Amino acid sequence: MAEDILYHGEPNGPSLSVLAALAESGLDIECRHIDLLKGARHTLHDAQETLASDMAVEGEGPILLKDGETMSEAVFLAQYFDEAAGSCGLQPKDAYLHWEMMMWCRQVNERLSPAVAYLGNLACSQAPIAALAEEEFAAITRSIFSDDLRQRWQDLRDDVVDAARREDSEAKVRQFVQRVEDKLADGRVWLMGDFSIADLETFAWLRPMTELEADAFTSAPLCRSWMDRLEQRPCVQSALAKAVTENPKRAFAPGPEINRWG
Amino acid sequence: MADVTLYHWEPNANSGKPMLALMEKGVPFESHYINMLEFDQHKPDYLAINPQGTIPAMTHGDRVLTESTAIMEYVNEEFDGPALMPANAQDRWRIRWWMKFMDQWLGPSFSMIGWSTFVGPMVRDKPKEELEALIERIPLPERRRAWRKAMFGQFGEEELAESKRRVKFGVARLEEELGKRDYVGSNHYSLADINIFNSTYSLPMSHPDVASKDATPNIMRWLKAVYLRPAVQQTWAMGKTDLAHRYSLIMEDI
Repeated sequence: MAEDILYHGEPNGPSLSVLAALAESGLDIECRHIDLLKGARHTLHDAQETLASDMAVEGEGPILLKDGETMSEAVFLAQYFDEAAGSCGLQPKDAYLHWEMMMWCRQVNERLSPAVAYLGNLACSQAPIAALAEEEFAAITRSIFSDDLRQRWQDLRDDVVDAARREDSEAKVRQFVQRVEDKLADGRVWLMGDFSIADLETFAWLRPMTELEADAFTSAPLCRSWMDRLEQRPCVQSALAKAVTENPKRAFAPGPEINRWG
Repeated sequence: MADVTLYHWEPNANSGKPMLALMEKGVPFESHYINMLEFDQHKPDYLAINPQGTIPAMTHGDRVLTESTAIMEYVNEEFDGPALMPANAQDRWRIRWWMKFMDQWLGPSFSMIGWSTFVGPMVRDKPKEELEALIERIPLPERRRAWRKAMFGQFGEEELAESKRRVKFGVARLEEELGKRDYVGSNHYSLADINIFNSTYSLPMSHPDVASKDATPNIMRWLKAVYLRPAVQQTWAMGKTDLAHRYSLIMEDI
């Protein structure tokens, strides 16, 4: 049986949290860097059962290829690593804290990540996608299974910008920074008390915003210190060391969609 | 710790998830029926429990829990009773994947169609001023926008067409999945089945063009297997509208 392979992009957003979670788990899984902005994720060799990558809710994120099945969604991959490693401490053992971690991550994925992806893609990947030769772009979109993900690629290429969405995304980033600030107000070191996937997932999406939406962090000293702690954590350092560009904070590819309905 | 109270609407979609999970685990709970069509979820009594005004919510002793899928994981971990998550890590990942696919991609489309054809017309006959006052009371801006669309019938043709496309497409993926495994995401009855059953049990009636004995035999086989579980029957008996009753007639015909 083929070895498991983690295909990841630059350590930013979901690729950052998954690489850090893998390092934290200590599992020995081969990591292969791919260019998400070239659609490399849609044509993986040896992938047979591909629903989870074809229809990934988080868009262009990392993929774990295991026994021919593509596994997606950063939070669930981190949970998988934790559970496959026989519980390495990435998830609280107490059922209530575990619920809180999952509820927190769900809200990161529903509110923060679509907002960050929207802003990040407009700022960083719109121009490279627009610059692709017609043939190259057509080859990428042909390889994309999901109609709505393909549309997000097309909108970037066509420079479709919705001012209301941009404003709403900026507000969501500010709100989430404040939410982290409030959570840390009781002096806790990590969001759930002990270190967990909630720290990695939230940090991975907020990190690029320190450049693109720097103002959101100015009155959030606790959030900034918490991000410094994460930046220094060995698993995050190990993930960041996998970067092949100078500034992975600017590495984006079409991500999760903004809520269509309430 | 004892004393579980569940605040829920009909045994359907999000409310149905923790109801059925508690029934499967054999956990006794106090039921607080929140009539969504009377906007009980935005009244002060309920906002004191869940300030976001979304249903369901569950209290366990002094703990307050929201987000129906995360509540189910809590119920499974906290209480004795049959395991509703398998032991294998890849199966657990797949179950969580399917629940997210339903909660964040397919479910909102079911919901939009349901609200445009059912919830909207049920509440629309109140005076405009009263509807505006009801909207004003909703804590979350996203929910305010959704209710406004439902109350005043402001759904766009394009967004409804996209929701219909997703329902057809998502149901086809579910049919494929149930052709590979006995249950959703694994060969064990799990939280994914509870989650997805609560949003799809009505398909043969609401979308006979996409789910039927001929078009989706695997889904029909699975719906019947879940429907026959005693916990489903007990949960449906808690419904106050004829929703569950109407669908039980369909199930009997499968």
